[in-house]
Amino acid sequence: MRGALHAEWTKLRTVPSTWWLLFAVSALTWALGAVTTGTVSTDQCPSPDECHEDTVKLSLTGIWLGQAAVAAFGVLAMSSEYGTGTIHSTLTAVPGRGRVLAAKATVVTGATLAAGTVAVLGSLLVGRLILPGNGFSSTPLSLSEGPALRAAVGTVLYLGLIAQLSLGVAAVVRDTAGAITTVLGLLYALPALVELVGDEKWQERIHEWAPASAGLAVQATKNLEGLPIGPWSGLAVMGAWAGAGLLAGATVFKLRDA
Amino acid sequence: MQATIEIQELRKQFGQTVAVDGLSFTVRPGQVTGFVGPNGAGKSTTMRMLLGLDAPDSGQALIGGRRYATLRRPLTEVGALLDAAAVHPSRRGRDHLLWLAHSHGFPASRVDELLERVGLASAGRRRAGNYSLGMRQRLGIAAALLGDPPVLVLDEPVNGLDPEGIRWIRGFLRGLAREGRAVLVSSHLMSELEDSADHLVVVGRGRLIADTSVAELLAAASGERVSLRTSARTDAMRLLAREGATVAADGPQSLTVSGLATERIVELLTTGGVPFSEIGAHRATLEEAYMELTRDAAEFRTVEAGADTAPGAEAATATANEAEGTRS
Repeated sequence: MRGALHAEWTKLRTVPSTWWLLFAVSALTWALGAVTTGTVSTDQCPSPDECHEDTVKLSLTGIWLGQAAVAAFGVLAMSSEYGTGTIHSTLTAVPGRGRVLAAKATVVTGATLAAGTVAVLGSLLVGRLILPGNGFSSTPLSLSEGPALRAAVGTVLYLGLIAQLSLGVAAVVRDTAGAITTVLGLLYALPALVELVGDEKWQERIHEWAPASAGLAVQATKNLEGLPIGPWSGLAVMGAWAGAGLLAGATVFKLRDA
Repeated sequence: MQATIEIQELRKQFGQTVAVDGLSFTVRPGQVTGFVGPNGAGKSTTMRMLLGLDAPDSGQALIGGRRYATLRRPLTEVGALLDAAAVHPSRRGRDHLLWLAHSHGFPASRVDELLERVGLASAGRRRAGNYSLGMRQRLGIAAALLGDPPVLVLDEPVNGLDPEGIRWIRGFLRGLAREGRAVLVSSHLMSELEDSADHLVVVGRGRLIADTSVAELLAAASGERVSLRTSARTDAMRLLAREGATVAADGPQSLTVSGLATERIVELLTTGGVPFSEIGAHRATLEEAYMELTRDAAEFRTVEAGADTAPGAEAATATANEAEGTRS
């Protein structure tokens, strides 16, 4: 397994797209975070102190964009092997397919968690710099507070799970465009369905079971009672999606001719 | 490990198409074995099953008596080159070898050693997407040799190469066999293997057509035939046919005679006053031998382009016409 891990890590770090995508995770997250924190105001509240805006969640809104780069990163780790044909070299060097996929999942998740940490800490910093200018002076965005720490750590883990889901989907679909479309569909189109579905019960179900809306419940630090799903249970739903994706990928990868 | 490849009753079907149909043969160490057949004969599929990429429907493909999937350190037992174009275009050539080396814990110095050996030392830092086909073939061969394996499997390694590249690979393969390795090289053109293969496994439509040494095949194809050069072709043909020889015209001034010894032919032509300039044992080319070998495989022939079968067919027709001409 050590050899397989080392090979996958070398493979990952020797293509420029890896570094571009990991940079994009942070850049996109920060950019959207700056926009959302920059445009929020306390005008609607009776007084700034009575504003119950979830500033932590607001600062982390950028993940909605950053996750797309993570999805592309996870997909490419697998699909580029089929696109370029290197999958044959990979499997002649490491014939155990379960080992190949496990090694890929490990290095891809590791790199995503590292990039995700940078993205999340940066976003909180951006929020901390911008929000006071909009009247939210009493919200320090400190990680010493339990809910804020949960939101930060949970968001990083969420990105790791997105990477695993993407890898699994790519192992099934094999084609880059197809796999990215599938993952982005799951992340963006599924939550968008809420707008189209009239029935409230179904709206709630989608919120509870769609990977992105459920998983990002972990970002909430206020008004938890009003959420369709709790923070950790939401992340667990995302975990189930990632697990299912990897399992499907592993099954197909083992059974199919390469 | 015994450096052999054993293909046993191997079978693989894709939908309605039977790609490999009960194929069996053995590749021995110390020689280059050519794996020949037209495109679609099942060569690549056989190699992919050997390397554990495709699962056979039945039968087995073994390396040193074991299935590929059970090899603990596969690169040290088999080196493979399936498709030289299969490199990530934005990865540097050296890095392509590096990740393969890392899978087995080989040091980076091994990578540099091989880049040197295949003549890519100065190009190692360039991205593989900028490599020419010849450079990719060299990179692929370096990858196959990383673990210093006793068995090598190369799919169409000279396909699309320039003459310089072809010469390099041929010499390289012979050298590897001389070191005692078992080398299996596929090709859809017999002529590509003319100077490099010692043994031949010929396949068509997924089935074995011949499993023979190159020397035996050439001897069988050359037969007891004699090549003759003469300006009086018709006279010579009439004279020799009367003595029971089978004569085929294969050029305006050249004949191939079988059924008579060289001395007898010389004697007949001299006493008959027929002039001739050159006479000697006929040496078949590998391509001729291949055509002869596959002549009977009717269904196999339909795969071949008409042009490929034409030389043999023309000779046969010429013989028939000439023979009739003599009788009338």
